[in-house]
Amino acid sequence: MKVAMLGWEYPPFKAGGLGTHCYGLTRSLADKGVAVDFYMPKTKHSTASDRKNLVIKEVGETEIFPYDRPDDKAIGGQFFDAVYRYNDLLVQKVKGKYDVIHCHDWLTMKAGVALKEKTGAPLVITIHSTEYDRSGWLNPNQWFIDIEKEGMQKADKIIAVSQFTKRVIVENYGINPNKIEVVYNAVYPIGEGEKQNIVLFLGRLTIQKGPEFFLRAAKKVSEYEKNCKFVVAGAGDMLPRLVDQAVHMGISDKVVFTGALTDEEVKHIHRTASVYVMPSVSEPFGITALEAISAGTPTIMSKNAGASEAFRNCLRVDFWDIDEMANKIISLLRYTPLHTALADRGKKEIELFTWDRVADRTLDVYRGVT
Amino acid sequence: MPSVCIYFEVHQPVRLNRFSVFNIGRNIDPYSTYFNHELNHWIFEKVAKKCYLPTNKILLDLIKEYDGKFRISFSLTGTFIEYCERYIPSLIDSFKELFATGAVDLLEETYFHSLSSLYDDMDEFEEQVKMHNQMIKRIFNYQPKVFRNTEAIYDNRIAKKVSEMGYKGILTEGTEKILNWRSPNYVYKPVNCDIKVLLRNYNLSDDVGFRFSARNWPGYPLTADKYANWMASCQGDIINLFIDYETFGEHQWIETGIFDFLKHLPGETLKHGNLDFVTTSEAVNRYKPVGDIDVPWAISWADEDRDVSTWLGNNMQVACFNELKDIGRKLKESGKKDLLHTWRLLQTSDHLYYISTKGSQDGDVHAYFSPYDAPYEGFINYMNILQDLKQRAI
Repeated sequence: MKVAMLGWEYPPFKAGGLGTHCYGLTRSLADKGVAVDFYMPKTKHSTASDRKNLVIKEVGETEIFPYDRPDDKAIGGQFFDAVYRYNDLLVQKVKGKYDVIHCHDWLTMKAGVALKEKTGAPLVITIHSTEYDRSGWLNPNQWFIDIEKEGMQKADKIIAVSQFTKRVIVENYGINPNKIEVVYNAVYPIGEGEKQNIVLFLGRLTIQKGPEFFLRAAKKVSEYEKNCKFVVAGAGDMLPRLVDQAVHMGISDKVVFTGALTDEEVKHIHRTASVYVMPSVSEPFGITALEAISAGTPTIMSKNAGASEAFRNCLRVDFWDIDEMANKIISLLRYTPLHTALADRGKKEIELFTWDRVADRTLDVYRGVT
Repeated sequence: MPSVCIYFEVHQPVRLNRFSVFNIGRNIDPYSTYFNHELNHWIFEKVAKKCYLPTNKILLDLIKEYDGKFRISFSLTGTFIEYCERYIPSLIDSFKELFATGAVDLLEETYFHSLSSLYDDMDEFEEQVKMHNQMIKRIFNYQPKVFRNTEAIYDNRIAKKVSEMGYKGILTEGTEKILNWRSPNYVYKPVNCDIKVLLRNYNLSDDVGFRFSARNWPGYPLTADKYANWMASCQGDIINLFIDYETFGEHQWIETGIFDFLKHLPGETLKHGNLDFVTTSEAVNRYKPVGDIDVPWAISWADEDRDVSTWLGNNMQVACFNELKDIGRKLKESGKKDLLHTWRLLQTSDHLYYISTKGSQDGDVHAYFSPYDAPYEGFINYMNILQDLKQRAI
């Protein structure tokens, strides 16, 4: 079987879970004998494959940061141009015989639909997040929604990363639920390190990820737990506001903003953190939660996160419930048996979340459309 | 001629309020902040309507219909009786009426359905048994002869203590762990003291308690005549059917036919000339021990493991249990008697049960009974309350 996979990010260049997913999925598919050509925009970083039947094909010359909200009209214009240019290039460059065209999220959907029409190969799309998620359900942009909807309608099969996301696709895009398969994400385990008194937020600093709720919980925790640091790791449009917020709340000496981290730095902070909090307003899955758990870090996640429907050994909160979030953070810091139970049982459960399983389930979907 | 000895456990825990770390040390009245009286009231009314009231009525009718040949036993926990007195006093009258027939025996246990039998010292255990004793005396003017510990927890030490306290019999689980090849359908005695041990026939008991409505079970559907045939073909002196009372109408809903099963059980059983019914006291009086049992490590009737891992199977549970014991020592040292009742309500084994992290089928059963989303939530809540009480105890 030969698959043309259209993506937009691939390690070492990645902004979110989509890149992580494409990396794990393509390598495990290759291990199962599937030939995968992975198309992505050309980046400054060199991206290489470590599998014989997995080929990374860079198209075009600009990086696209699809998670940034194009607020500024001028940048927004360039951004949309870049997206169109990339999609056009894809349609030109994807040549040869493929059994399946596989797209990830809205950014390559136009090309996916065009290639399906041009080559007659079936189209599979994976939905990692929708415009509703990325906007935190505030003012979703119709331009994205229309692209997403067209792609979903024309796809032969849709893979959703959680039941939560499947429901959004059914309810907000009017897609037949029988066309949608749920395949939960996976993780390459990070492994445990020397734990310190660190409570960690790690993710894009956008409305979707709820970093301001983390800071408010941090404020409350810091009143009770004096020897505890809070790390806000990641970059995003909310960074300046969050720094201000920390100063205003008088906890700037307790909170460290790291900015964007390299892969190695991400692993390091997961290894040393004692508590990981994922207070996402909207979270189709949340691979970082799996990464934290694989590093032996007990994790508090938003009740509406896709990962929380799939994973038992974690704590759950409503993202807006600051008191309960703080209650659980403090409990994890104070009660060793709780910390140990979640760390140990979490690491055990995480063994079920392998890319090999994701590849198997994805292959089932391919076989269903070819 | 085997006798059928039916005994029902009747218990409701006093469930906890949501109590965050920020409530610790606030010094608000513990009784009203620790316990969720609204939820408890609601659950108690619900279970009373679905189970206690209708089942009591059926049992009373059956005892009258069979002229006292249908005989049963109950253990009523102190927390259950407190609920009755607060919310449905007529339920106590209904139990009194049952007891007045002479066909009903009452058992002794710890007032709070606690794990105090597992503490390092037996004094708290003894106090709670005495409290239960006084309660039964006050309401029923009766002195129980047979003891059953929380969820049938049993070991040599407990048997010895209970025997020293003057009881003639004690109940526990008829598990192979202590019987090996031997049958539970006889009376035994402990190796280390003189008391008769009644052992639960867990196959026949669980047929009713757990499997009654399981469609994938070969015995389904279970009818009274089929069940009576099974009992009639049993060897031995006594068939001990020890069952949660809430099986009737609550764990097994009315739609499963559990009440019809109960209504026909005495008649179908008595059709077999070799079967009769006895209470726990009568069983202890009538039958002689056929052998010894040696139980150095505690067993119980809970979960597949049939031990105390249900309550003390992980470190979160052990940590809470240790806190509980520690608070007790502090309370007794400081003489803060007003907090004793609250501390004892927190000893009810259910609070630890909710923190169990067992997987598979047992885990599902735990989840069914738990007011929490996950054992971790149960731990946080319970531990926060224990921390608050600990601060008050000093």
